[in-house]
Amino acid sequence: MSRVRLPHLIRVFAWTGLTSLGGGRSAYFHDAVVVRRPWVRNDEFVQDLTLSQLLPGPNFANLAVALGCRLAGWAGGAAALGAIVAPGAVMLLLLAVLYFRGGFAPATTHVMHGMAATVVGLVLVTTARIVRASLHGRVALVVAVATFLLVGPLGVNTPLAIALVLPVALWWHRPRRA
Amino acid sequence: MAGLARLAWTFLWLSLLCVGGGLGVVPEMQRQVVARYEWVTAREFVDGYTLSQLTPGPNMLVVVFVGYRAYGVPGACLAGLAMFLPTSSLTALVARRWERVRAHPWALAGERALAPVGIGLMAAGVYTLAWSAVHDAPTATLALVATLALTASWVPPVAVVLVGGLAGWLLGL
Repeated sequence: MSRVRLPHLIRVFAWTGLTSLGGGRSAYFHDAVVVRRPWVRNDEFVQDLTLSQLLPGPNFANLAVALGCRLAGWAGGAAALGAIVAPGAVMLLLLAVLYFRGGFAPATTHVMHGMAATVVGLVLVTTARIVRASLHGRVALVVAVATFLLVGPLGVNTPLAIALVLPVALWWHRPRRA
Repeated sequence: MAGLARLAWTFLWLSLLCVGGGLGVVPEMQRQVVARYEWVTAREFVDGYTLSQLTPGPNMLVVVFVGYRAYGVPGACLAGLAMFLPTSSLTALVARRWERVRAHPWALAGERALAPVGIGLMAAGVYTLAWSAVHDAPTATLALVATLALTASWVPPVAVVLVGGLAGWLLGL
C-alpha cells in the first residue's frame, strides 16, 4: 500500500526539517517530495497544504503528517511527525538549559536582543507575503483587520475573538445555490 | 502534578488556536505563559521565540522552552506533546478522509472564512513580538533594516537574524 518505505521517509523528512530554517517552510517540503522525488503529485501536495492550513495546529507539523499519511499510512504520519519535530525539540531543549542556567554570558544578552529585533522584521515580511498572496477582496480585508485589532491592540482573548469574527466570515461565504 | 496538568492543558488548547500558522497563537500564548501563569517573563518569551526561529522545525517548539522553564525536562516534554500530538492526530484522521470531506460545500466556505482570520491572527503575532522586542531607536532601526533586507528574497533569513545578533552585541543593546 505505502508508496515509500518508512526508514527512507524518516530520512527525507528529518533532513527537510533540519534544513528548513526561517520563513516559507512549506516550500522546502514541496522541493523534497514533489520536485526532487516522484513521491507526491503537485495537485496532491496543494491538497495537503490546504488541509494543513485549514485544520488547527502548527501548519508545518500538520503538513508533514498529511504527507506522511499519504506516503505510508498511519505509520507514515507518525514517522513524519517524529522526524520533523524531534531534532529541533532536542536542540531547543539544550538551548533552554543553557539560557536558564546562565550559560549565556552577559554579552549574549545583547546578541539575543539584536536577534529578537530582527525576528520582528522576519515575521513582518512573512506576514506581508501571505497578505499579498492570499488576502483577496474587501470582506476578507475587514475580517483580517477586525481579527488583528481584537487580538493585538485591544487584547481580547483569542478564542473569544475567533468566536466573534468567524461566524460572520462563514455566513458570508456560506454555500449558496447557483 | 497539578502544575504539569495545567501546563499540558494550556498548550493543548493553544494548539487548537493555531489557525494559519503558529505566529497567530503568539499573542494568546504570551498572555497565558507570561501574564496569567508567570512561567516566563515577557523578555524570556521573546528570546525563546527567537531561539525557535534559529532551530530547525516548527516555531511552536517555543513551548519546549517555556515548559522547561516552568517544570524542567518533564515540563518540556509534556509541553511539546500537548502542542503537537492532538492536532497531528486530528490531521492524520482528516487526511485519510479528506477526499470526502472536501466535497462538502461547507469545506470551501470554511477555507475561505478561515484564511483572513488566520492572517489577522498572524498580524497580531507580529504586533505582540514587536511590543516585546522593539523598545528603543536602535532596536527599531534593526527591525526596519531586517525587514528591508528580507524583502530581497534571496537573503537567507537565518543569516539576517545572526547579523542582527552581531549588531546587538556591537551596539550593546
